[in-house]
Amino acid sequence: MKTLTKLFALCALTLSLFVGANASAATFTFTAIPDADESQLRTRFEQVALYLSKQLGVEVKYVPVKSYSAAVTAFRNNQVQLAWFGGLSGVQARRLVPGSQAIAQGYEDQFFKSYFIAHYSTGLALSERFPDITDKTFTFGSKGSTSGRLMPQYYIEQHLKQKPQQAFKRVGFSGDHNRTIVQVQSGTYQVGAVNYKVWESALAAGKIDTNKVKVIWQSPTYPDYQWTIRADVEANFGAGFTDKVQAALLNMNSPELLKSFPRSAFVKAQNKDFQPVEDVAKQIGLID
Amino acid sequence: MSQPKQLQPIPSLKNPQYALGYWQKVTLSIWLIALIILPFADIEIVNFDPFLELTRMANGLVTPDFFATEYLWQAIMQTVNFAIIGVCLGLVLGAPLALIYQHPLISSCCAFLRAIHEIFWALLFLQVFGLSPLTGILAISIPFAATFARVFHDIINQSSDSPLESIDSRADMISRFTYGKIAQVMPQLMSYTRYRFECALRSSAVLGFIGMPTLGFYMETAFRQGNYSEGAALLMIFIALIGTIRYWCPPKLLGVYLVIACVTLIDIPHIDSSLLVRFITHDILPPAIANAATLAEVQWSSLTAWFSALFLEQAVPGAIATITLALLALAATHFISLSAHMMASKHLWPAPLTWLGRFSLLIGRSVPEYILAFIFLMLLGPSMLPAIIALAIHNGCVIAYLVVKQSNAIAPQEMQISRLNQFNYHIMPTIYPSMMALMFYRFEIIVRETAVFGILGIMTLGFYIDSNFSEIRYSNALILIICTALLNVAIDIISRRLLKFEQTSQASC
Repeated sequence: MKTLTKLFALCALTLSLFVGANASAATFTFTAIPDADESQLRTRFEQVALYLSKQLGVEVKYVPVKSYSAAVTAFRNNQVQLAWFGGLSGVQARRLVPGSQAIAQGYEDQFFKSYFIAHYSTGLALSERFPDITDKTFTFGSKGSTSGRLMPQYYIEQHLKQKPQQAFKRVGFSGDHNRTIVQVQSGTYQVGAVNYKVWESALAAGKIDTNKVKVIWQSPTYPDYQWTIRADVEANFGAGFTDKVQAALLNMNSPELLKSFPRSAFVKAQNKDFQPVEDVAKQIGLID
Repeated sequence: MSQPKQLQPIPSLKNPQYALGYWQKVTLSIWLIALIILPFADIEIVNFDPFLELTRMANGLVTPDFFATEYLWQAIMQTVNFAIIGVCLGLVLGAPLALIYQHPLISSCCAFLRAIHEIFWALLFLQVFGLSPLTGILAISIPFAATFARVFHDIINQSSDSPLESIDSRADMISRFTYGKIAQVMPQLMSYTRYRFECALRSSAVLGFIGMPTLGFYMETAFRQGNYSEGAALLMIFIALIGTIRYWCPPKLLGVYLVIACVTLIDIPHIDSSLLVRFITHDILPPAIANAATLAEVQWSSLTAWFSALFLEQAVPGAIATITLALLALAATHFISLSAHMMASKHLWPAPLTWLGRFSLLIGRSVPEYILAFIFLMLLGPSMLPAIIALAIHNGCVIAYLVVKQSNAIAPQEMQISRLNQFNYHIMPTIYPSMMALMFYRFEIIVRETAVFGILGIMTLGFYIDSNFSEIRYSNALILIICTALLNVAIDIISRRLLKFEQTSQASC
């Protein structure tokens, strides 16, 4: 194993000699995973890249990723300098890259919330109080999601005084908010936690049969998605670059571009806005 | 559960003096083990109304949308590129190892490397190389090299020594080896390499699930987000790609393709060697060691607490689920292999029907298990059952595909018996040992592939590994990956000890 790792190191170093030359340092790279529609990802976000490029006067490139953890890795490794993170992945990323800053969030992200949804057979109905869902089957969204996993798990532990694995008959991770809706609607799971925006846009698109699945509880609000930028962009793209990026994001008002996220506008944000998310993540043991 | 028995002649039931044959014992024990663990496995069927979603899926299947995917041509190219470069690099690394494979250190190292699924290799390399093509290529070529080493070694070992005798004894060692050994097994080596290329295409697509820019990238998104028309189109393209390999990639053109692949590969971004250093010296170390400045400061108690928690809460339950799933899948695979072989055998059906059978084998072995499990999850609910069925269909079809090739080559004697009897009493007994040998080779792969279902949420070791990657706990992930590999190696050793059948090298992928 040791010799193998050495071999890799050697290969990597040799390769880096060949490819090092053509890697242009002047390309500003970003990544984003929208919470709802992931189709035509590159086509849509290349529009955003074009916009940023015009505003910033540097070449801007979009890199598609598959998961929040991949986005965090790319950010940490400086393969992207700017990222549209979920609440939790943003916290993870800023912990790993000292000096990085949250610079903007979606207008809706200041008071984001999760819905708990249930299959009609459970007989549960919308209530103000935390619903009695002990011993039901339950599905989260993806493992790294704030609205589909972190916050729901926190409220479950707070109200049921148990870890989800003990509180529920079966716990699943659907991997995606749309999947959560589909799986609860078809009865695969009895209850699920879902991003409220995804639910509402699916409802508006007529994808939900409200006779089969309905919202039974909504969580208190918390901060979620945000743009986070690395500290070293100032050194690579000139002093004041962070502010320029922030201004470009805040001024992004073309509905066409905002639809990709989807958010109505971007507003200012700073690291300490996300302290609640970090506290919760520590409390349920997702970060140390 | 007694289907396999109907397909075999069972003299023992009629004649009490006849003991059970070796293969009957093996077959019975597979099913016995499966029956014993069945009550402990989670195979509950939960579903109320999957039909809304199933209708959507069926709708997508009949209205495939080939234009919904962006950069489709690029995705196809990259799928092929990763596979070609991965296999070639695997050959370059693996073929020389085959010559020294008899050394226990080499063979156990290879078994270890082979035991780690491409997805995990990719997740590890992702931390160092990022979303660079290098991640995908290395993730394919390392386990492939280890497999090539083993199979090539087996093939060379089984070759006859007689050609050596006709070579002048004064000839040098290299010539003797090349003309006496390699020359006679060359066709086998070639055909195995061709087969591995098909496997590499599948692996390449599967790597898309975690972010490589191959067909799997778009396929996973399409299915996960319910864009079934797009998903169906991508599946069809992928099946067509695999089904037509021999037309678009004849062995002679492999070199040409390799050159094209290297030229058209997406750019390899700058590799930062400090990332590798950080990964090895910090990321993969246990938190107690990584956070301590000197060795003296390491808190050994917290290190042991960390390890025992990881081991007891994740490794052990994960390993139990992995083994349960694999053993049940093995029995189910046996059933599917037998039925699928029957379906496509030319000894039973007229030619047009066997084409149909072989077409279903193509679909069964080309559709990634992930997608199969995804569909069965909608149908049967979130237990282990969808994974068992997906593994059985996929592996059963691979085995049946290889067995049909062999059994169709058998020329039975002209006898006055019905086709069915001829199939049952002549073809099956002839082909059964090699089918079983293939199945035990596949068992190793079944255990590896349980990893993929972890990502779908079935609590195998793969589930815990995936969770640790998403929580950015690489040290935990690495320990669990090592546990998975050791489990695989242990299973391999045990199954070899228990079943001392001669090493036929109809290996599989």
